[in-house]
Amino acid sequence: MAKFLEYVPGDSFLHRMNPCAKLIGAVLFAIACFVTSNLVFLVAMLVVALGLALYCGMGRETAGLCKAVFAFSLILAVVILLTTPHGAQLVPLPWGYIGTGSLLAAVTVVVRLMAAAIPLFLVFYVTKMNDMTNAVVKQLHVPYKYAFTFTSTVHFIPVFMNDMAGIMEAQTARGVEFDGSFVKKVRLMVPLCVPLLVGSVRKTNSAAIAAEVRGFNLRTRESGYKEYPMRAGDWAALAVCALLVAAGIAVALLG
Amino acid sequence: MIEFNEFSFRYREGAEPVVRDITLAIPDGCFVGITGAAGSGKSTLTYAVNGIIPHCYPGDFYGSVTVEGCDTVDTSLTDLSRLVGSVCQDIDSQMVSTVVEDEILYGLENFAVPKDEIPGRVDEALAAMGIADLRDRTIDSLSGGQKQKVAVASVIALRPKVLVLDEPTAELDPASSVAVFDLLSRYARENGTTVIVVEQKIALLSDYADMLVIVDGGRIRFADTPDAVLAHSDELLALGVNVPRATTLVNALAAQGLYEGPAVRNVAGAAAVCKEVLA
Repeated sequence: MAKFLEYVPGDSFLHRMNPCAKLIGAVLFAIACFVTSNLVFLVAMLVVALGLALYCGMGRETAGLCKAVFAFSLILAVVILLTTPHGAQLVPLPWGYIGTGSLLAAVTVVVRLMAAAIPLFLVFYVTKMNDMTNAVVKQLHVPYKYAFTFTSTVHFIPVFMNDMAGIMEAQTARGVEFDGSFVKKVRLMVPLCVPLLVGSVRKTNSAAIAAEVRGFNLRTRESGYKEYPMRAGDWAALAVCALLVAAGIAVALLG
Repeated sequence: MIEFNEFSFRYREGAEPVVRDITLAIPDGCFVGITGAAGSGKSTLTYAVNGIIPHCYPGDFYGSVTVEGCDTVDTSLTDLSRLVGSVCQDIDSQMVSTVVEDEILYGLENFAVPKDEIPGRVDEALAAMGIADLRDRTIDSLSGGQKQKVAVASVIALRPKVLVLDEPTAELDPASSVAVFDLLSRYARENGTTVIVVEQKIALLSDYADMLVIVDGGRIRFADTPDAVLAHSDELLALGVNVPRATTLVNALAAQGLYEGPAVRNVAGAAAVCKEVLA
């Protein structure tokens, strides 16, 4: 299984797509998920997103992502459940009630976030960092420094996660038990952020120097070697994503 | 030619200079090995060559360091990086790409190497490091030795006149260490590249270096051919340099007047000397 947000080689249509088209397509897909609150539409979007993930062999990675997004969205869902008394009353609360509408809104939030997140994360699993950087510099005219900073940040996420795992292993070897309640785990992990932070600053500094001694400051938009032409498939994918946005707006207006 | 002229350096946050009164001339095409105990100032010497000090780590810089006639203080880091290729100690931090080929391309794109020249340069660098088969592999899937070769390949693709490597075999097993040094040495010989390697393994360094530099407390204690330096094994051991036991044994025989000849670096050499002494 690939590390979080790390490129997985492959030959699927998504792998071969233009990096900018993938990025824009994923953003359009996410927009389509946010323009409507129609649960049926959102479930259909989630199914499409899961289908895309399975198609390019990222089933396990996506399952892990869904788990993380589900945990996060569950917090939002609980807040919505407790603060939006809509529909027929199901559970009375001292300050209101949980209704069928509250339940629907909570489920909608969970489905919406999962559907919107999957394509955005898939983009990183099916695109090489350099291609992403070069394509947005060449085609979207994003300044190289900003594009490089963004992709480097993403590149370092698994590195720092790995470092954190190493620090936790070292602590476990010294008798610290990370099993137990969520609160206990957080309480034990907070002090470990200091060595992680120190290590991260050192690594980031080394990376910056390493990039600089390889001519980072000389980079121009034209000096990128690879070209990223938009092919018919890329335009078609963008058109489908635009149609999804249109469909989302239509569903929102009609429903 | 690389010249250190009464060079001293104190990091801004340090109380004392890390290196002092360094005067050294490194001829073109020379393979130089720098070694010494931890904290002796080895890495700082290489930082002075590739311009990381004072450009990235500011401090008090005394004397001068010139590379091909360019003063490293007056020349920008970017201009220096056209002359000096650097491989950092922390290989994982150096990698900016997810795939080997992209890592090699990175520097070439930055330096705006003509596009028709790039494929040849990539092929050449991969072949020089013997990793042509790794071209499409993700960096994350490589072993430590393979990553090291990729890091070196990404630098030699830029065809620098000087190659600086900071502990390139620190995380490698003995076989991978020898493989990296074999490839480096062959590349340097074929291209006339000056190579400066910081390395703790003096035995390994001695097999490849034309000049060994021993640093202690920020000063150069020895700068000579490996044979001449290894002849001082007792002093090297006192400085915290891990001298091979075979060398120490033969030097002890020489001290007893039982052997007259160059210092040996390995067990085979020591065995030959013992056979000669016992005959």
